[in-house]
Amino acid sequence: MKITVFLALFISLFFTGCIKDVKPWEKGTLSKKTVKESGINPILNQFEEHIYFSKEASKGGGGISGGGCGCN
Amino acid sequence: MKTLIISLLLLTNLFGYEKGELIPQQMASHIGCDGDKIYVIDFFASWCGSCKKELPLISKLNEQIDKTKVEIIGIDVDKNVEKGIAFQNALKEQGKLNFRVINDPQNLIISEFAPIGMPTLYYVKDKKIVGIITGAIDEIDQKILADLKELE
Repeated sequence: MKITVFLALFISLFFTGCIKDVKPWEKGTLSKKTVKESGINPILNQFEEHIYFSKEASKGGGGISGGGCGCN
Repeated sequence: MKTLIISLLLLTNLFGYEKGELIPQQMASHIGCDGDKIYVIDFFASWCGSCKKELPLISKLNEQIDKTKVEIIGIDVDKNVEKGIAFQNALKEQGKLNFRVINDPQNLIISEFAPIGMPTLYYVKDKKIVGIITGAIDEIDQKILADLKELE
């Protein structure tokens, strides 16, 4: 029984398409502006940052580090 | 079972060409790196910011090297080939791209090499990978020049 459950978990984890990693050369879509948090208009992100700064006195820490490829 | 899991995890990273490996004849002749020169193969894309910075430097280097001994080959991995060609033409007009480029819209070449990042440079000598540079490097032209001196 234990082995069956383990095998079922193993197969569902390793053989599903959902965990397929994005290769470095496939990041063209991810680098598009529309995929960014603020969408195609970067000013929206600035407005959001302004709200955090004026209401909560907090700034920064909202960035996401990349993989060193400089794609964005 | 533990060994099986570890082997499966390791296998996911073992498909690309590593330093010291021979490139199969078919791939080498497809790229055109099966001669007796040292080949510098540069993988780039129009969406890759670092590639945009590096290409002019590599082109500058291409003017300095002895072309009977060294050849630089670019491989554009843009899936949208028209966008890729437009990107290359824009660079060529500015004199920032002066070496041979192969378009790889189906990513057949790069998926064989399977680099761990972009941009990536491979040094190939006698169909053997003798060096790999992954990621953006400031003054890449100087770095390549130093590496070529070691390889010659």
